[in-house]
Amino acid sequence: MTWQYRIVSILFLVFLCLSFQGCNIVRITLNTTLTSEDVAFIVPGKTTFTDVVAKLGAPDSITDSDTGFVATYRFVDLKYSRVNFGWLAKPWTPIDPDLIFSRTGLGIDAFEVLCDKKWVVLHQGFQRHLPRPPFYPYPFQRS
Amino acid sequence: MKLSRCLLGFLAVALLSQGCAFSRGTLGDDIKPDVVTSIIKGTTSKAEVLNLLGAPDRLLQLNGRDVFQYYRYDAKAGSLLLIVLNFTRLSIKSDDLFVVLDKDGIVEDVIASKRTDGLEFRFWPFGD
Repeated sequence: MTWQYRIVSILFLVFLCLSFQGCNIVRITLNTTLTSEDVAFIVPGKTTFTDVVAKLGAPDSITDSDTGFVATYRFVDLKYSRVNFGWLAKPWTPIDPDLIFSRTGLGIDAFEVLCDKKWVVLHQGFQRHLPRPPFYPYPFQRS
Repeated sequence: MKLSRCLLGFLAVALLSQGCAFSRGTLGDDIKPDVVTSIIKGTTSKAEVLNLLGAPDRLLQLNGRDVFQYYRYDAKAGSLLLIVLNFTRLSIKSDDLFVVLDKDGIVEDVIASKRTDGLEFRFWPFGD
């Protein structure tokens, strides 16, 4: 290994470490995220609310409706990532520069089950069909 | 040789654990499973439920029937604050209990789940 190669390798490692400085990755989850596979067992007109509770647990809220009631299962999957590229200039400047890229993905969703007065499921569905948010700190993407 | 390895290992653990943070937050009273099992459908009255669990967090109306809702939230956060980058993960789970009472004030159904039992401190934000 030549001394030039060593210096380039060390400089690359220092640059890589500096670019990761001030990098934060945060995740917040509320309850377990439900997917369409998790609720595939529900057959409207056949499955009872007792079966739903046996598989998914108690809902977060129950509200009254004309046909019966609506049970709601809420879940959140929040992803936040942040990189401060200002750290790259820190060793060479007397000031404390900041160039921050950050992005937050709010994966808030709810699964709702509409039951009749005999506790038989009439309808079921997700409030939103959000894809799971990514961990990219780049904020200028269209989606 | 062994001593130097032990020292290096100790230093690595000491350095890594220096940037650790554990936080916890709870909301509401613990819903004890033995109290929930003592509520018997068709027998236990509204007064007995109130005596066992206290006043409900929410009182709902469901097709002319009263529903008592009790809940408890538990949040556990773990942070790994390394020199190069920081990882934080906050997990929140809830325990919910619904006691459905008929028009005579007798327990008709009990819907309960305890999600907080499996809640652990986690640092790694990726994956499930």
